[in-house]
Amino acid sequence: MNHDNDMPLSGHNEKYLLRKQVPHVYCKRPLLAWRRDWRLFIRDPVGLLGLGLIAIFALMGLTHSFLLSTVWDRTTYHPMVGFDYDNTPHPNKPSWKHPLGTDSMGRDVLSQLLYSSRTSFGVGLTAGIVATTLAAAVGVLSVYYGGKVDTLFMVVADAFVLMPPQVVLLVVGLLIDMDWLRVGLVYGVFAGLGTLALIAKSHALSIRVKPYIQAARVAGGGDWHIIRTHFLPNMLSLIIVNMMFTVTGSVLIEALLSFFGRTRIRMSWGTMIWFTQSIFRLSPFGEQWHVILPPAFAIMLFCGAFYMVGRALDSVVNPRLAQR
Amino acid sequence: MYKYITRRLIRALITLILFQTILFMLIQALPRDYASLVRISPVHRDAIRAMLGLDQPVWKQYLKWIGRFLGGDLGFSFAYRTVPVSRILTTRAPRTLLLFLPAAMGGFALGLWLGKHIAWRRGSWLELGATLGGTALYTSFAPWLAFVMINVFALSLGWAPPENVVDPNVWIWQQVIPETVIIQLLQTMVLVSLLFLVLWRVTRTAVGHRTHVRLAGGGLILGLVILVWLLSGWIRLALDILHHMVLPLTTLMLLSFGETMLLMRTTMVDVLGRDHVLTARAKGIPDGAVRDRHVARLALLPVLTHFIVHLPFVIIGSFVVERVFSWRGMGQALFDAADMYDLPVLMGILSVTGVVILFAHLVLDILNAWLDPRVRDDQLQAMAG
Repeated sequence: MNHDNDMPLSGHNEKYLLRKQVPHVYCKRPLLAWRRDWRLFIRDPVGLLGLGLIAIFALMGLTHSFLLSTVWDRTTYHPMVGFDYDNTPHPNKPSWKHPLGTDSMGRDVLSQLLYSSRTSFGVGLTAGIVATTLAAAVGVLSVYYGGKVDTLFMVVADAFVLMPPQVVLLVVGLLIDMDWLRVGLVYGVFAGLGTLALIAKSHALSIRVKPYIQAARVAGGGDWHIIRTHFLPNMLSLIIVNMMFTVTGSVLIEALLSFFGRTRIRMSWGTMIWFTQSIFRLSPFGEQWHVILPPAFAIMLFCGAFYMVGRALDSVVNPRLAQR
Repeated sequence: MYKYITRRLIRALITLILFQTILFMLIQALPRDYASLVRISPVHRDAIRAMLGLDQPVWKQYLKWIGRFLGGDLGFSFAYRTVPVSRILTTRAPRTLLLFLPAAMGGFALGLWLGKHIAWRRGSWLELGATLGGTALYTSFAPWLAFVMINVFALSLGWAPPENVVDPNVWIWQQVIPETVIIQLLQTMVLVSLLFLVLWRVTRTAVGHRTHVRLAGGGLILGLVILVWLLSGWIRLALDILHHMVLPLTTLMLLSFGETMLLMRTTMVDVLGRDHVLTARAKGIPDGAVRDRHVARLALLPVLTHFIVHLPFVIIGSFVVERVFSWRGMGQALFDAADMYDLPVLMGILSVTGVVILFAHLVLDILNAWLDPRVRDDQLQAMAG
């Protein structure tokens, strides 16, 4: 039952491996398939750039707690309640002590910037994981069981498509102040049951007709066995791609909600801009550029990084877009 | 075909009812109910609760909710007492449409055009630059991009006004309200795009001088429209509105074109590898013709599908851009309603957005079925699947 015989996946055939697109059927040897996808992926400068940026942001989040426990004095550099008593009045321009200056409450901007990358990772990953888990479950179950289950799931998905997570979050988020976990959860649920479920279903449909599913069934594999060992591993790449796009969308909408001052998130990039903007309404840039610009660029780079990785990965693993 | 459309319409109706059911559940899940959102005395609150039927059992409320929605009744606004939500939305809708339609179309067209060209010059620095630039614009923080536009083009250079829909100095002694002119502008826009479509379709089969005929026809249509507007006497008012539209429209287009461009590029690259492209090239067909007629046309449908699916992104973008530019449309209504806990208006906006998306999907599905017989026929579908 080895369907990969026609694929030259061994290491010494690397040249051929890179140039020619091999068929998108791998049920066994997922490690080799992953290695092939990885090689295709790192040829794309855009994807690599995105991956590098994500690593930098992750480092930023980690560095913050490290700095706060070693070099930085907690009373001065705490992102929420810190205050610099030495250099009043605030805001301060960038200096050696505060590389990005301080905001009007005397808090260090760099500290806030580093800390906020954690919030963004929290929102984005929560939304991404919830959305893709739900979508994969709905897609696989409705394809595998078909019939009434399929009809039920698809009617629900159709209805959820009419409620895009961004719009729902904007409306509900304006009514109730939510913390980052709830923002992520709401985004995940509404994205995962809607558009993403339809995408996952169409992908699962293309897997159902593959011969190894028939073979597994003939060999006496149970439902759960087939789903676990055949459907899910083959859908994993697509799931990861969509997770990237979900992260982009959820972080953007979280920033928007925070920017309008409608969340209970204590510190995020959107909150930083909102705070400065609400005090210096008339001159958003003049005095305050060192508080406004870093979070704005951080949002752009963070979302852009996940988006670029998603796009690059998409062109590798999406059978329709695979490079020839 | 008709059978397919009927089936699709019935499904759309079921979807709509389920959509409203979920909205109803969303309201039930809110920590405060309709009546307790208004800041009034307890006596009044009980009276309102009885008036709205909130003291009745949930299933009765639910039936009433669905019935009213299907009848097109969205209820009354809390903030502007006795004004129906549907009237608030219909007065605000033209302004949003005036911004949203050209931005969506323009962004889509710009994305298609750019994507087509960068896919053709694959692997060049231009491609890398366009990809990075498109991603940066697509993922940039909408209010911030708007602030940059305001600061650079409105405050520093003074090319366009930074906010509002109209300039009071121009309108002060006029006999018309802006809505009338805006609706006229919308009608003109739709008419002109329809005429352009007809022109494009008619001249498609024309032999020789096609470009010249198209240019002349396009010029004629535009000239006629401008002439009619000149004669109508509202030209100054219309120009005022258009002048105020420049910055929000540009911002919205910059925000939305990147996604289409990148997808068009990937899809084009996919089509480029197919055999018929090689055949076309071998036959000696000029590069531009191969690109436009043999590659771009095939890539168009998936990109269009993706664009419709991602329409909510443009909707959100236009809401935010409206807020930043004080463009008093539906987005502004949303934020105002949220400030005043005006739940019926919020739910009305959610419902309208849902109906718009449903309509877009419906049109797309029917278009797909019309273009691709496999979609509308179950047997063919089974064979293809």
